[in-house]
Amino acid sequence: MKGWKLSPPFLLLLPAVIVLAAVVVVPLLLSLYSSFTPFRLTRPETFWVFIGARNYINIFTSRDFWVAFARTVVLLTVALNLEMLIGLGLALLVEKASRGQRLLRTIMMFPMMFSPILVGFQFKFMFNDNIGLVNNALQALGLTDRAIPWLIDGNLAFIAILTAEIWSSTSVFAILILAGLLAMPREPVEAARVDGCTPWQTFRYVTWPFIMPFAFIAMTIRSLDVARAYDIVKIMTDGGPAGRTELVWTLVARTAYSDAKMGLANAMAYFSILLSIGFTVYFYRKLAAARTQIAAEW
Amino acid sequence: MDQNSIHRVRRQALGIAHGVGLFLAMLVICLPGIWIVLSSLRPTVEIMAKPPVWIPQELSLDAYVAMFSGIGKGGIPVLDYFRNSLIISVTSTVIAIVIGMAGGYAFARYRFRAKSAMFLGLMLTRTVPGIALSLPLFFVYARLGIIDTHFGLILVYVALNVPFTVWLIDGFFRQVPKDLAEAAQIDGCTRWQAFWQVEFPLAGPGIASAGIFAFLTSWNEFALASQLTRSINSKTLPVGLLDYTSEFTIDWRGMCALAVVMIIPALTLTFIVQKHLVGGLTSGAVKG
Amino acid sequence: MNRLFSGLSAGVTLLALSASVAFAGDLPGKFDGVTIDAKLIGGQQYEGLYARIGEWEKATGAKVNVISKKNHFELDKEIKSDIASGSINWCVGSNHTSFAPQYPGIYTDLAKLLPKEEIDAFVPANIAAGTLDGKLVMLPRAQFDVSALYYQKSLYQDEAKKKAYKDKYGEELAPPDTFDEMAQQAEFFASPPDFYGTQFAGKEEAINGRFYEMVIADGGEYLDKDGKPAFNSEAGVHALDWFVNLYKAKAVPAGTTNYLWDDLGQGFASGTVAINLDWPGWAGFFNDPKSSKVAGNVGVKVQPKGLSGKRSGWSGAHGFSVTENCANKEAAASLVWFLTNEDSQKLEAAAGPLPTRTKVWEWDIEQAKSDPYKTEVLQAFQEAAKNAFPVPQTPEWIEISNAVYPELQAAILGDKTSKQALDDAAAKATQILEDAGKL
Repeated sequence: MKGWKLSPPFLLLLPAVIVLAAVVVVPLLLSLYSSFTPFRLTRPETFWVFIGARNYINIFTSRDFWVAFARTVVLLTVALNLEMLIGLGLALLVEKASRGQRLLRTIMMFPMMFSPILVGFQFKFMFNDNIGLVNNALQALGLTDRAIPWLIDGNLAFIAILTAEIWSSTSVFAILILAGLLAMPREPVEAARVDGCTPWQTFRYVTWPFIMPFAFIAMTIRSLDVARAYDIVKIMTDGGPAGRTELVWTLVARTAYSDAKMGLANAMAYFSILLSIGFTVYFYRKLAAARTQIAAEW
Repeated sequence: MDQNSIHRVRRQALGIAHGVGLFLAMLVICLPGIWIVLSSLRPTVEIMAKPPVWIPQELSLDAYVAMFSGIGKGGIPVLDYFRNSLIISVTSTVIAIVIGMAGGYAFARYRFRAKSAMFLGLMLTRTVPGIALSLPLFFVYARLGIIDTHFGLILVYVALNVPFTVWLIDGFFRQVPKDLAEAAQIDGCTRWQAFWQVEFPLAGPGIASAGIFAFLTSWNEFALASQLTRSINSKTLPVGLLDYTSEFTIDWRGMCALAVVMIIPALTLTFIVQKHLVGGLTSGAVKG
Repeated sequence: MNRLFSGLSAGVTLLALSASVAFAGDLPGKFDGVTIDAKLIGGQQYEGLYARIGEWEKATGAKVNVISKKNHFELDKEIKSDIASGSINWCVGSNHTSFAPQYPGIYTDLAKLLPKEEIDAFVPANIAAGTLDGKLVMLPRAQFDVSALYYQKSLYQDEAKKKAYKDKYGEELAPPDTFDEMAQQAEFFASPPDFYGTQFAGKEEAINGRFYEMVIADGGEYLDKDGKPAFNSEAGVHALDWFVNLYKAKAVPAGTTNYLWDDLGQGFASGTVAINLDWPGWAGFFNDPKSSKVAGNVGVKVQPKGLSGKRSGWSGAHGFSVTENCANKEAAASLVWFLTNEDSQKLEAAAGPLPTRTKVWEWDIEQAKSDPYKTEVLQAFQEAAKNAFPVPQTPEWIEISNAVYPELQAAILGDKTSKQALDDAAAKATQILEDAGKL
């Protein structure tokens, strides 16, 4: 009996495991190895020189790397939280709408149809200090007579990048939370209303616990996929000026291809994986907790 | 003023606030998109003007005409890119969904050893940054000779999307009460039939949204595509965007026009799939 | 894979048949059954030329198989990946003088494959820029880039401005001939946030390249003759101060340190910038009423002089190379020759870009006779081309660039003094060269 029980899930999971092993695990081992070499793209023979943990030591003693790393963590934390809040708001607004649901949902997902590099160009031009849409609008409305250097000042550039990132990624939260809202059974909400709960109470104690797993799924998906922001940042500021917006990914990409120091870049990449793993495991735990809670209540 | 009319006024006010909020939110979402569409229709002199020209003075389809008018006359092989993008995105989405359904079902319905670890492991494959992946992948692909082929890119996108689809579909299968399928099995269905006739339709919204996600990810992916594609054999639309850049100049209007060409099919597909996103629910057994 | 093998075997047979070097009369030659795999730079500006490939195929009986067509930077990435994975199994590749030094080993000497009189027909400076360690690794096409000064004519014809300038500085107002004059006029014209005196590209190789050419113009050296970084000299500080002072005086847009070439072009075309040191690729764009507010009002002048009296002249040229691994180098060289011969250069030059063959320059200027703007552009750029020099020919150039430019930005934004920034940059550059075993 036990043998029979074990085999279906194994068979069902096999295709996923095979594909991931082929595309991710094998290349991964290759690049893990290369992070222990001084591998330079333009000199293939360096692939066979083993230098131990030197690349890693270089990184750990590099101030630039740590600053970029810290900035990435801050950007992620702020972006993910804001995206979740805005996404939740958006989903609730759309769900409440009595007409035009299909159109609204399509519009809600509109930013997902923009390739990240396009988003980068788009926001770079919009935030251009001299002829950009944002400054033009502010000046036309009489809110400022200065040319605000959006992409130059460290804090403003952070905001500009954050805006682009939130604009392009909030949809993921909105659509998943909306899907959660749609999948939600009606009776608990109606029961709460009959019991005289205020809308806030209904939301807080009935709706939210139900959609929480979806919010965490979105969180986790996004924290896995954060490196997506690379394309945007690359085009908007490429980490500059003077390293003021440098993120781990822009640093890695420049080191890897432009400087051709693939070994060092892979070491950085591996270290920054920890970041993704950290975020992912954290949200996964939350998700598991939320699920058990729901399971207990049902 | 009695209780009732206060209540009514409050409800009306809430309704209006909701409408206004909704409108503003949609406006913010749409503005950058509208700007791109307008940019593709207006001469550059108007787009980058200062003082700004807010109301378009002159609209034309020049950029679109140029795009299709062949190499050397401002054209790019847009039809080839489009075909590649379509083949690659659709195929990889379908495969990812099938694999994801199998995996998601396994996680949602079976108990097995190391389930949690396995699940987390599957997800963590996505934490590998593209940059750490792109070169080794290139090495392997170069050895296998599948650089610049549809197959190569499809394989990558399936791997990219499988963790998401497994996860999403798992979540939705969990929402479908187990008793339903069990009831069907008691009624004489096989597990297979119970799946297709009861659980599958109910998990519809999950599968639909997983599908949209997978499709849009593949449709827009740039970093890996730029490494693994090379010519019109497999170059996709996002990679094609760079045809509008040269060393020192950029044709922003042309780029916007191509962007519109990219967005329209994605938009249409999303609009169509919306129906299925709710379809699973309106069939209504969950309420039951 | 199959294609590669058939190409290889055809190449081997052909090699056996003819092992001699081609003579001018023989070009383009006969190569029946040969297939040449090529990686070409893509993008509107460059692809018009590829229509000529069909003619070459007809003339020689060979086939060209374009296995990659990508943007400049993506192609660089791809070639590096090919080197790393040992998959240089193609014959002809697009190349650029700024990138060529990074991969010296993979391309063969074209001077050995093509007749001397054909190579002599190119502008000597362009051939020198394509020669690494005595090997001619690329033949330049008509996509040569050097900067010249674009300016708004009306500003210099405005009587009130002329008078105000004379009163303030005691000099006549005329398009600047030195970098110091340029800075002075930029400050004079600027009225932020509506109008700026000038602008500069502020990141990546773009700013480092500008800085490099100004160090030279100011009489300094970027790398000294031993290959050691020497830009933290007095000349270097003077060059960097030029950027710093313009930024401090708000004579340039505040966003300029984040600008790349596209932002510069759009900025000048929007009519909000007085003087713009920029590339020939924009000349048509600036004078087209559909894309530019300043159309009809654009003047072009040779690039300014630095302290030493020398003009700046950072330049680059696109071209084609033949790989060492190529099985049929004669056929490949013939294709490269064909794509850079007189007819090909005329085709490209007619659309605006600058040629690299002496005869085509003459032809180009002749053609422009009836068009005063184009004549002015060509004359200015021909002058500018005389001062042209390529980037230092070290494989580490791009890497040094990436280490230096954040320091330049730090000085411009006021985070560091110019001297301090340059010392830091020189230390980093030295480190890079030491790691590479060059020092």
